[in-house]
Amino acid sequence: MKNLFVDGKKGDRAIVLGNEAIARGALEAGIGYASMYPGTPASEIIIALDKNKSRIKNLYTEFSLNEQISLHGAIGASWSGIRSLCAMKNVGFNVASEPAHFLAYTGVKAGLVVAIGSDPGAPSSSNEQDDRWYSLHTYMPVIEPSNIQEAKDYTEKAFDISEEFSFGIMLMTPSRLCHNAGTLIFGDPKERDNIKGDFKKDPDNYLNLFSMAVKNHKKYLERYELLKRYTAASELNRIIKSDSRIGFISSGIIYAHLMEAFRMLNAGEHKILKLGITFPLSEEFIKRFFKGLDEVIIVEEAEGFLEFQIKKIAYEAGFKGRIYGKDIFAAYGELTLDDVITGISRFLKKPTPVYFDEALNRNSATCGRIPQRMGTFCVGCGHRGTMYSLLKAAGFSNTDGKGRDFVIAGDIGCYTLGLLPPYNAMDWLTCMNSGLSIAQAISLADKDKKIIALVGDSTFFHSGIPVLMNAVQNNANVLYIILDNGWTAMTGHQKTPSTQKDVNGSAIPNPVNLKDLLRSLGVSYIKTIDPNSVKRFSVLIKSALKEQGIKVIIAKRECILQEERRNKLMRLKNPLQKPEPQAIYEIQKERCAKCDECFVELACPAIQLKKDEQAGPSIAGIAKEYYYIDPASCVKCGVCYEVCPNSAIRKVEFNLTGEMDVKRSMGKLTELIITA
Amino acid sequence: MKRFNIAIAGLGGQGIITAGTILKNAALNSELHDVSGSERRGGAQREGYVEALVKYIFYDSLDELKDPRKNVHSPVIQAGGADVLISLEPIETLRAAYYINSRSTVIFSTSPHLPISVRMKKDTYPAIEEIVKELAIITPKIYYYDFNKLSIDNFGFLTPRNILALGVLFSKTGIPIEKEIVEDILAKGSQSENNLKAFYLGLTL
Repeated sequence: MKNLFVDGKKGDRAIVLGNEAIARGALEAGIGYASMYPGTPASEIIIALDKNKSRIKNLYTEFSLNEQISLHGAIGASWSGIRSLCAMKNVGFNVASEPAHFLAYTGVKAGLVVAIGSDPGAPSSSNEQDDRWYSLHTYMPVIEPSNIQEAKDYTEKAFDISEEFSFGIMLMTPSRLCHNAGTLIFGDPKERDNIKGDFKKDPDNYLNLFSMAVKNHKKYLERYELLKRYTAASELNRIIKSDSRIGFISSGIIYAHLMEAFRMLNAGEHKILKLGITFPLSEEFIKRFFKGLDEVIIVEEAEGFLEFQIKKIAYEAGFKGRIYGKDIFAAYGELTLDDVITGISRFLKKPTPVYFDEALNRNSATCGRIPQRMGTFCVGCGHRGTMYSLLKAAGFSNTDGKGRDFVIAGDIGCYTLGLLPPYNAMDWLTCMNSGLSIAQAISLADKDKKIIALVGDSTFFHSGIPVLMNAVQNNANVLYIILDNGWTAMTGHQKTPSTQKDVNGSAIPNPVNLKDLLRSLGVSYIKTIDPNSVKRFSVLIKSALKEQGIKVIIAKRECILQEERRNKLMRLKNPLQKPEPQAIYEIQKERCAKCDECFVELACPAIQLKKDEQAGPSIAGIAKEYYYIDPASCVKCGVCYEVCPNSAIRKVEFNLTGEMDVKRSMGKLTELIITA
Repeated sequence: MKRFNIAIAGLGGQGIITAGTILKNAALNSELHDVSGSERRGGAQREGYVEALVKYIFYDSLDELKDPRKNVHSPVIQAGGADVLISLEPIETLRAAYYINSRSTVIFSTSPHLPISVRMKKDTYPAIEEIVKELAIITPKIYYYDFNKLSIDNFGFLTPRNILALGVLFSKTGIPIEKEIVEDILAKGSQSENNLKAFYLGLTL
């Protein structure tokens, strides 16, 4: 089948994600280097390039260990004359901010674009930061596409601007655009035959010390003035003319919300400034927009980055009208289409449609009543085993309402979901490797507490090694559990240095030996355990906590999704291979005491509640309910079998001889085997 | 300009995003057709809320397509702005009822998946009859089936449940897309035999 992402020509149309449109734009711009540390909502930008790289000539892709390395890599490629794309999530830029602050000093050679996925409303992040503010001190120009087509077109354009003014560009897209899927019309990609690195020394720009740094500072301020002049004439900034004395300024996805709000409210034809480049702003251009206006409304998400710049320009230009912005639109949370409609409706005194008001009112009435749904671990996930073992070791129980006295430090990854009910197994969650970093200091400040810090393998390799060394060197007293599932799982399974085997079964060259690494860092207490052996694990946690100093437990179990994918591939590849011995599990109704150990404490989603229709209506007309294991979801990890205190879960093994061994099964189990 | 908005809601792993992508691909054939729609993928983990929005835009003329006041569309659907809501989980239907109005059609699956708060007995899960009653206050056009059971009974596994719902979408609503285009997309995709069978079955429900 034709792969349009790779082979698409000018005029071809396809449904693509905003992130894929950015990747395609970079491809059309002729990039040769693409890197990222994975992070939602930006991951698909580099995934799209990486999964197709065998079909794209002269393209190098990398999932780097962290964002700083990733941006440095893109700088190296740019200095070698290769256009480079670096992607990350909003908070990733904090990690990349150090090289970003030198990028203006040194400048670029080939175009360099940093695509940043912001996450207003924080559906997949631990904060809502708006990275556009970084431009005020890094001097990186900010480009904001407002739809899928612009995501491609502006990315391509960003490389030209980067080269012309020698700045790295920030391409900002919120999750609503990253994960918007819709029509994209392709352009022609640049010729790829001649993409080849050629690094040339440039001491004037690349060496920054003492007066050399000051000289480069002055140089980039001059380039910045030229860039400002360019933005005044750029097609990325557009004024939609009107005789109205009211003007609106917006950018990015919020501009799309605004235009839809106008249509819905029949709100007339006001003057509109659509900014594609939101830093720097040209004073002359903004002044031109102000002409004839009494009121200006800035419609934007987060803290008012445009308002901050535009009010300064208005003050200097002596603009006599009023400027509104954050006094109408909230500075926190996602600025939704409905928020924009409501804000514009109030400001212009145009009523919203009745159906809209009804839906909003209904929502505020029903919101609190519908049980909230928060994510949990996949069926069979080793993290569930870790959380359960941890809480059992701490004496915690939901059903008894018992608390836990351990302090548990959280960190970033799939296991972060352990902070949600029923586990509530974290006491703080902020940024990458804040777990042990803060825990080590608490262990020194409050010597009475038992402290456990959690970290995933990808997060540990991202920036956890210096933290652990620091903790060892300063005699901190923490049990550090590395949840090693072998993948950066949450963002779509990128490899980590501890990945041993690819999904297709091939061994990964040079995986890090975690134990050797820990030993060389000075850790003497190192244990490895399968987190799904929950009884052993909880005993191990208790005994580890009795030791002084830094103790490390590696909870090692591969991400179940990857393991299942590999197994499925292997079965397809070798259909004649004898099936592996397997077990199936069934809750025996009559023995189950509904103690909730598997249903609430372990909370495996494959264990479900069912009405016993055969039992008929019992007391007060309520049908009897029973717990059962849904064979369509169960992956036979056997943890429920281990935790059941009443031996109510039956294990039936089959394939022991390489053939289906269903002799021991009951009628019902035969059916289970077929669906399993 | 004509528009048709579809909201698809459910949980991670139910094929919500795939259903949205199939519907979007059905609008690629004409220059005057545009489609977009945001996805909520945060719930990639099991039990997380997932949503795909499909916004069809049919321009009346090339002039309209080129008019900057008319050719820009938000990727999301406003409150009450969906012509159709499809949901593969009962209480997620109520949550997404935010998108519907008195003329919307609702298609939903009656197979519940209990949230943790219900397991912990901190919340109660409403009966299907209550859900239907609540929806009926908003719109009379409500269609519900046990898509999980239909899927298991007919195919032996759950995967085709989203395609079953697409079949119902074409039989019960005025979606301005030829069903043959969707058949064509399913025929070219993976699992084409099962998916076509599921689509046809959905059409008869």
